[in-house]
Amino acid sequence: MPVITVNLEDFGKLLGRKVTLEELQERLPMMGSGWEGTTEEGFNLEVFPNRPDLLSIEGLVRAYSSFTGERPGQRRYRVKTSNYLVNVDRKVERVRPYFVTAVVKRVEFDDPLIRSIIQMQEKLHVTHGRRRRKVAIGLHNLKPIRFPVTYTTKPPGFRFRPLGERFERSLNEILTEMPKGQEYAWILEGAREYPMILDAKGMVLSMPPIINGEYTRIDEATNSLFIDITGTDLKAITEALNVITTTFADRGAEVYSVKNRYHDHVAVTPDLSPKTMKLDNGYVNRTIGLKLKPKETATCLRRMGHGVKAGEPLEVSIPCYRADVMHPIDLVEDVAIAYGYDMIESVIPPISTTAGEDPLEVFSRTLRGFMTGFGFLEVVTFMMTNREKLFTRMCMPEEPVAEVENPKMEGYTTLRNRLTPSLLEVLSLNKHHPYPQNIYEVDDIILLDPETDTGARTARRLAVVTCHARANLSEIRGVLDSLLGNLELKAEVEAGGPECLIEGRRFLAKVGGETLAWGGEVRPEALLGWELEMPVAALEVDVDLLHRLTET
Amino acid sequence: MRPDEVAEGLQENERKILLALRDKPSATTSMLSAETGLSRDAVEKASAWAETKGVVSFTEEVSRFFKLTEEGATYAEEGLPEKRLIRLVASGESEISKISGKFPTLSIGLVWARNNGWATIKDGRLTLTPKGLEAVTGETLDDRILFDLSKSPLEEDQLDGPASDRIYVLVKRGLVEERSTTERWVELTDFGREVVPRVEALMGKTVVAQLTPEMLQSGSWRGTTFQRYDVGLPVPSLEPGKRHFISQVIDYIRRFWVELGFKEMKGNYLELSFWNFDALYQPQDHPARDLADTFYMKTPRFGRLPDPALVDRVRHTHENGWTTGSTGWQYKWSPELAARNCLRTHTTSLSVNQLAKLRPEDLPGKFFSVGRVFRNETIDWNHLAEFYQTDGIVVGEGVTFRDMLGYLKAYLEGLGLEKFRFRPGYFPYTEMSTEAEVWIEERGAWMELFGAGIFRPEVVKPLIGIDVPVLAWGPGFDRLVMQSYRVSTIKELYSNDIGLLRKARLWTR
Repeated sequence: MPVITVNLEDFGKLLGRKVTLEELQERLPMMGSGWEGTTEEGFNLEVFPNRPDLLSIEGLVRAYSSFTGERPGQRRYRVKTSNYLVNVDRKVERVRPYFVTAVVKRVEFDDPLIRSIIQMQEKLHVTHGRRRRKVAIGLHNLKPIRFPVTYTTKPPGFRFRPLGERFERSLNEILTEMPKGQEYAWILEGAREYPMILDAKGMVLSMPPIINGEYTRIDEATNSLFIDITGTDLKAITEALNVITTTFADRGAEVYSVKNRYHDHVAVTPDLSPKTMKLDNGYVNRTIGLKLKPKETATCLRRMGHGVKAGEPLEVSIPCYRADVMHPIDLVEDVAIAYGYDMIESVIPPISTTAGEDPLEVFSRTLRGFMTGFGFLEVVTFMMTNREKLFTRMCMPEEPVAEVENPKMEGYTTLRNRLTPSLLEVLSLNKHHPYPQNIYEVDDIILLDPETDTGARTARRLAVVTCHARANLSEIRGVLDSLLGNLELKAEVEAGGPECLIEGRRFLAKVGGETLAWGGEVRPEALLGWELEMPVAALEVDVDLLHRLTET
Repeated sequence: MRPDEVAEGLQENERKILLALRDKPSATTSMLSAETGLSRDAVEKASAWAETKGVVSFTEEVSRFFKLTEEGATYAEEGLPEKRLIRLVASGESEISKISGKFPTLSIGLVWARNNGWATIKDGRLTLTPKGLEAVTGETLDDRILFDLSKSPLEEDQLDGPASDRIYVLVKRGLVEERSTTERWVELTDFGREVVPRVEALMGKTVVAQLTPEMLQSGSWRGTTFQRYDVGLPVPSLEPGKRHFISQVIDYIRRFWVELGFKEMKGNYLELSFWNFDALYQPQDHPARDLADTFYMKTPRFGRLPDPALVDRVRHTHENGWTTGSTGWQYKWSPELAARNCLRTHTTSLSVNQLAKLRPEDLPGKFFSVGRVFRNETIDWNHLAEFYQTDGIVVGEGVTFRDMLGYLKAYLEGLGLEKFRFRPGYFPYTEMSTEAEVWIEERGAWMELFGAGIFRPEVVKPLIGIDVPVLAWGPGFDRLVMQSYRVSTIKELYSNDIGLLRKARLWTR
């Protein structure tokens, strides 16, 4: 989740009163954010991904001043009409189809505003913009721009002077040689021509989402801006535009609309008008568990920056910068926040239901208790492993197993299809502790199975390994015999078992032809594979089958 | 302890020593060894134990003595090399070049003959001084010391004045070595004197260490006394079999849920993206679905999507909100992406699976799950790829946000936490959401514990078919265990270090 840095002095100035860190630490989280600690100049705040409007100090103060009741109700934003025109070429449809624009004038670029805008733009890019692919924001000095502006594409050989460069570069060069180009070239992968924004004189405003042109560079003297936002999701770029323009407006700037002419329609942006949603007061009370009167609900909504017209149902006017309101439930949450989560009395409801654990889990617990009775130590190991541990070290032939596509570490590439290798790994990591080391585990493995919906299924196993100077077959078979005897089961024991066990010292235990367990003495080559110098006897039992047998 | 109790607690050797000291003011351990027939070592040990029981005390005397080294012994027999040299010179052989091979230690003799002032060298010839001439025939101090020591080692006070000064020269020369011995003088304490008669009284009796079946069968235990043990002494430690502490905590968590009336949900570890993400209304371009955070399967790569009607409802909800009353995410939903297999990233995939199985007549319901989840993280001391989570849901008409806070409060109070609060939170599939925070006094700040919320209608309606509230929360697991067992890193928690497992205390909640 994005974290922003807030300067306490800036915050106080915008709010219009003195404010302490103690107050904000107590109250800002109750408004809906995460306190991330104090800094030299203020504090860090975690902003929820669905509240891009809180990414700027201005938006944060706007929300806070409503929340505290200092300035409740909806802010009105005026958009002045203009003649600014942008032509959108059809060519962009294939590369980067969506485009919104705005103009702001009478901007006073002081340090706090610059800090706030830069931080907001950066955070919007990373989260809302999915690293600029979904949303990319360009800010330009309005003065040099000659309208109409065109949004089109240009071939890789096209040249212009990028921001910060002394000479012209081709689009190709920018993508392959400049740092911003290299970082974001992946967004334009596969395109034959690249998106460009140019003015009427053919001067380049920007190459979205890569880099702006030097032509429209912003400096401290700039007092009017042209804002462009390109992207792959119209809803997201519109939200971003609303959030940015209202941030400037809160600082006293004037917002002007721009006509965006597509081949088949004209869209005027930004549209800062609120949207309306009906809210049933009964729904609010039923969901939260309160008994608010419509008037009280309306007061709460106003404290969250909404406008409310009384009536049944309530008519709520939702500000344009609230990207998170998709359904009446989102308004219900706002009501609860304004009411105060700390004011809601919590009580356990009398809901009567039958309870219980999964029978296999109960059975597994019985097995665990029984194994403890032998003096064995339980271990809890990982299901993720790799082929080396499952097969190579165990001196077993490779088999198909569930494998992961994108592992980050060598040790976590496959899911285990046997439990015993996990136990041998535990032994190999504990050579510095005294022997005997007799350990067990009851846990799951993954087997490939074309019959299931996913192509794999979970199976439960009990594995026991005894490790000491005299570890042998008869002791490990003794464990199995004892377990079966205590479950009133009998199995046929015959020679056989996996390759990791010494031939002639291994067995299979079957019931009705199905293999219930295998066990025996581990081969020296496999012990070496785990760098163990102590004999080991191993046993692995199919717990699902065992459970089935005990139930019948 | 009383004298008779102490007497009964003494071992055989200690009793022997006490009796040997009965009629003496004190004795050395050598003397006691001679009298009791025990080895000096045994006497030393037994008298040390007896001292801890307060029945004897001892003083130690360090004495020094001198004895000949091997070299010194050789000279005692053959004569000092400087003596042999001057005798040679006196017999007329004074040319150094001629006599140099006569005996091996000649060069040493040369050095000392000069040191002693017995000879001078000029033009390769030795000339004896008057002192030297005298030494040829007489017995020197060095001769006398060597002679005396060759008979037996001597203590410092057995040497006379001149010898006790000169002997250090011989020590330096390596002919004599100085040794010290500690002699321990043992004597009875006043308390010991009280104990002695009790020991005498026991002499006739048999003191038994281990009661045996034979003694019980024959009755020979009658008339014997049991040796009184110092019951507080350390005994060999036992290593019982044990449950892993994580496993114990999991059992506790299960019991906690069941006591509140919840029923367990089980499901796949390896699951369709559909259940792990899509059914939770997470848009297909959400960062959490990235390769970076989720393990996607290579084998088996794709699975089969469930009931087509259900899939359709989910698809519509993503694209335009369907009948949930929402705007939806407004993008094109891909069934291929949903059919991709992954390792579940949260136990919430079980919750949505459960909701899809419910019919309106099954409500209300309370369900829980405890299980492993997988995150594609880089593993370090505080991050693992695999760890435990637990989830609970309450489904039913009329359950409210307030009710959920009630469950959370019960859980937190059950953990013994007093100062906690609920603040607004954010999870992509819940609305309303809350974050439970606990006050950490040492830090003077609130700390996030876990999240909870009401599933969004976009999640619930496609699954059950009706708009019914579903409360959901996942109280953390690892942190609870780490705090209780004072384990500082999550890596250590899952390390299966046998030493740690053997030492870990029982979970008693």
